[in-house]
Parts: sequence; structure tokens; C-alpha cells
Amino acid sequence: MHKTYLLDSLDELQRHLAQSHEIYQVVPQSDDARADYHWQQVGSGNWPDLVEQKPLQSPKSFFFAEQEPLYVFDGETFEEVLPTPTPFVLFGVKSCDLMAIHYQDIFFEDDPYYQARRKQGLLVGVDCVTPCEQGFCQLVNAGPSVRDDTADLVLHPLDGQRWMLVVLSAAGKQALHGLALEDASPEDLHQRWENISHCEQSFPRYQYILEGIGKLNQHAISDEFWQQLGIQCLGCSGCTTLCPTCSCFATRPIESASSQQTSVTQVRFWDSCLYESFQREASFHNPASEAGQRVKRFWYHKFSDDFVPEFGRYGCVGCGRCEATCPGVIGVHSVMKRIADDA
Amino acid sequence: MLNLTPVPIKIVDCYDDGENTRHYQFAIQETEQHLSPWLKAESGQFFMLCLPGVGEAPFTFTTLPNAQGNFRALVRRMGSVTDALFQCGVGDIIGARGPFGRGWPMERLLNQRILIVGGGCGIAPLASVINQLIDSQQFIQLEVVYAARNQAALMLNPERARWQHLIPIFNVVEDMAGLSDGEFYPGTATGILPKVLHTFGEQPDTVLLAGPEAMQTAAAEYLVAYGIDPKSIFLSIERRMHCAVGLCGHCYLNEKYVCSHGPTFSWAELLQYDIAC
Repeated sequence: MHKTYLLDSLDELQRHLAQSHEIYQVVPQSDDARADYHWQQVGSGNWPDLVEQKPLQSPKSFFFAEQEPLYVFDGETFEEVLPTPTPFVLFGVKSCDLMAIHYQDIFFEDDPYYQARRKQGLLVGVDCVTPCEQGFCQLVNAGPSVRDDTADLVLHPLDGQRWMLVVLSAAGKQALHGLALEDASPEDLHQRWENISHCEQSFPRYQYILEGIGKLNQHAISDEFWQQLGIQCLGCSGCTTLCPTCSCFATRPIESASSQQTSVTQVRFWDSCLYESFQREASFHNPASEAGQRVKRFWYHKFSDDFVPEFGRYGCVGCGRCEATCPGVIGVHSVMKRIADDA
Repeated sequence: MLNLTPVPIKIVDCYDDGENTRHYQFAIQETEQHLSPWLKAESGQFFMLCLPGVGEAPFTFTTLPNAQGNFRALVRRMGSVTDALFQCGVGDIIGARGPFGRGWPMERLLNQRILIVGGGCGIAPLASVINQLIDSQQFIQLEVVYAARNQAALMLNPERARWQHLIPIFNVVEDMAGLSDGEFYPGTATGILPKVLHTFGEQPDTVLLAGPEAMQTAAAEYLVAYGIDPKSIFLSIERRMHCAVGLCGHCYLNEKYVCSHGPTFSWAELLQYDIAC
């Protein structure tokens, strides 16, 4: 049974965590009502509320950096360059994005760069109480409630502006040390599950997603069908950039010259399996030379049973960002509808 | 934790060996501690060659690292990394990471009847296993097929000349111009398999294949039709290894990564995969 507390406001918790951590939170990019929402450092007396909106980008770059140095060559030796972030809190991560971090934790378990960042990060999740646009986390076991092994602390909005705080990990418990909090009542706990249950029932059914996953795993989709979808792929990497579980990267050298010497820094940066050159070899042999093959690969990686033994789940957490960003209209809803109807 | 940082290696020696191809000797410039993973390298594994300022690319060992950290690799000039390597001189310091991947199934080769088929550069990952078997004499029968496009494309010439005296080798060339019939057979690796299997006598217990993927798959299909168990046929699959530790995604083959689950796969494993996915 997890320890649960009541909060009258979030400030108290934010202030407390800020004593030992940098705090990052999702905030609107401007006052414009149509503004995008982004992760940003917050603090020093101006604690923003949690917003319901899903941020344009998941917080994956906090741990798997969009670009980072791996090593430096000084002409004679190679020196590893590990990140050294100060402790930080991601405050108010939604369940889908937390599940994606959990997925990446497994994938990058032995990656020293990822783990150097990860061990400094405290995850404060937030339950969703209303479905988000294009989200289907409940179909892929990623929400709307925060799953137990994906966060350190969880916030849940109760009636009357109060919050319930659930402690999920030892790190979460440690982070609350010194903060006097009122215990939540059984009624509060009951309300949490009522709210979550109501939220789960409010999602559209999205039956075509289940049908699509089924057909994909029965290998019932022809190569011709994928080629048709491939025509619509612009190879822009919008889906792979915004997908919170996508983790492909490439590396390249960057030279820097000083008066004394020239050094080379090898950096890694996010790559995309949808780029034509992703599998292309030096000989120009390319096992995935056709867009249809690459589109097939992307969806196979998200929904194939073949990956379940390693991760305990599918690679998709149901955030719907691919649908929102794809200029070729082959995000998850569009693709699964077409698979269900036509494939 | 994984280590993605190269160790410095010195170019000790190199000589031309086939069209746009050189056989290099490298020496790891590191302490005993850094040397220890290299000393565990196995035939069929690979390493990443790092040309600072240019990039990294995978190569296989033709001779495994010895106690002094010396090893050999056959390099064909093909892209920016190999261009840069060919412009380096003996004594230059570059980098290497490794060893990586799954090598040949050595435990299945001891005191067995073994057929080895290499095409083009594909002879490179087979060289150290052939040498190991010949030097240890721990086989019942060992025969090698080596296929190349033409005379200029013949590789590992000194090694094959040595092997020629010790085991049966079928050198097969598509374009025989300049080559004599006695020493070379006209044709392809797959084309000569019926003749090789006929002279082999008993069926091979294990077959190792390396070379162009189309050659390997055609040979594997023929061998299965001939009655050899797909579990006894091993292929060395090339993909674009980039990180070499199963993370960057470039060398995917279904849910596997060739760099960490391969590059050696049994034909039985590959038959389960959509080889283009």
C-alpha cells in the first residue's frame, strides 16, 4: 500500500523540492490561447499550476539528449565525456510519458550517458482525469492513471482545488523528507479511482487501433499496402522526434580548433528510421531503400508482439503525438484506421 | 555500463590485397586493463574503426588481437571512413572500439566436417576461423570455397596461398580473364556447391557462409535442399553497424540488432525473420 497525502496547493511541494532540485514543468509558450505547451525550468517564487494540456514534446530529451558529446579525441587519446546534471524534478509528467520513460529506462539500462542523467531526475507524475485529444493510453496500458513503477511521486487532482500525493518510490519518499503533510483519507483514495475510472470510460473506443494491432501481428498486411502508406511519408522525422519511445541515434564528429591544438568531439544526435539513408551502407546497399519498408518498420517497432518479451509491453504509449504532427496524415489513428478498413 | 569511447590504435603495417583493398595490422595503444576485452575477441566478431574527425565503421578481425594488442583487418575502400584510413600512414594513431557481436559457433566446429564458403570481402570474417582450425588441426574435414568476380577482386591472396597447401580450396571466379583453369573454377559460389558437396563425401556437419547477402541466402537455400539442417548453417550478416552495442537502431533485423545479436546467425534463426524488416 502506497503512502498517500493531501496537499491544499502545489506551491508547498514545489517550494520544498526546489530546495534540492531544479524544477521543470509544462508551461504555455505564450499567453496566446493557441500556444504550444513545453517543458521549461520554473521557480523562484512563481510556481505555475499544472496544465491539462499535453506538451508538444515529451520529456524524453531530459534523459536521452537530442544531441550530446560522447568522447573527445585530442590527437592522442580518447576521453569519455559524461553528462553531470544537477538533481532535477520533472513536475507533472503524464502517465503516457512516464510509461515511455520506463520503456527507455529498460532500453538504455547500460547506456552511461542516459543513466548519468536519469539518476539525477525525480519523476513527479500526474494522473489524467480527462482524455486528451488523440490519446489512447488506456488501450496500451499506459494511462490515464500513473502506473506504479513509472514515477517517484504522483499527483491527483481532487475536488476543491486539493491534490492527493502518492509516494511510489524510495526516492520519492526521500524527496518529501522534512515536509509535514496530512494523510489522505480512504474517501480521497476512493475519489482518485472514481475519477480515473470515469476518465477511462470517457475515451472514444478506437476499435480500429485494436484491429490494426491484431492484423499487424497476424502479418496480414501486404507489402503493397505499406508501399501505399510509404508514398505519404515525407521522411520528415516528425513522428520519431515526438514519439516518446523512439530512441534511434547517429553519431558524427565535430572539430574544434584552438591555437594549441585541434580536438574532435564525437556527438550523438537523434536519428530517424524513416530517413532513406538510415540503413544505407557505405556500398549504397540499402536493406530499407523503399519508404514503404521504413513505414512498416516504424509501426512494427511500435506494435509488434516480438518486442513484448524485452519490454513487457508495446512500444506505443498512446500519446497520439504522431497523428498530431504527421504532415502526410499517417499518424497512428490514420494508419490504424486504414489497416482496419483496407489492409 | 557500456563504453562507447574508442581506444587509440596505431597503424603498424598494411599492404594492398585485392581491388581497393588493404590488409592492415593495428596495435592497441593501451594498458593491460584496456586490452583485456580485446583479448577475448572471437572469430566472426567485429570492431568499430574510428577515424577522428571522419566517423566510425565496422570491420571484422582477420587475425584476433594477440597479447601485445596486435590484430589484423581487411579493409576495402568504400566510403568516407575507409577513404580517410587509406590516406593515413604507418605509425598514425586512430581509434577502435570492440570487440562486438556474436562470432562463429566455435564449439560446433571442433572435430567436425566443416564447409566454409566466402564471397568477395566475405572471406575476411572467415580468415581467422580457417587459421584457427588449420593451426589446431581439430577438425575431421575442412574445405573452403572462395568466390570472386574477377582476378582483380581476389582477396587474402597470401592467406589462401598458405591454405591451398593444407586443405582443399575451391577458388571460383565469374570472369576468368587472366586466370588459369587448373587453379580456378569458372562460376559462382552457389554454382560450384554441387561439385564441392560431391567431393566432400559425407554431408558437412556445419557450414559457415559470409559474403554478399544474396550469395549467402542462395547458398543456404541450396544446402537445405541438399539435406543440411538450417541449424547447422551459419551466415554473417552485414548491416550498417553504427553504435555496435544494440542501441542506435541502424542495423535492425526484425526485433534484433545485427551488431549485438549477430553478425553471425544460423539460417534457422534467419528463416524466422523478414530479412528486410
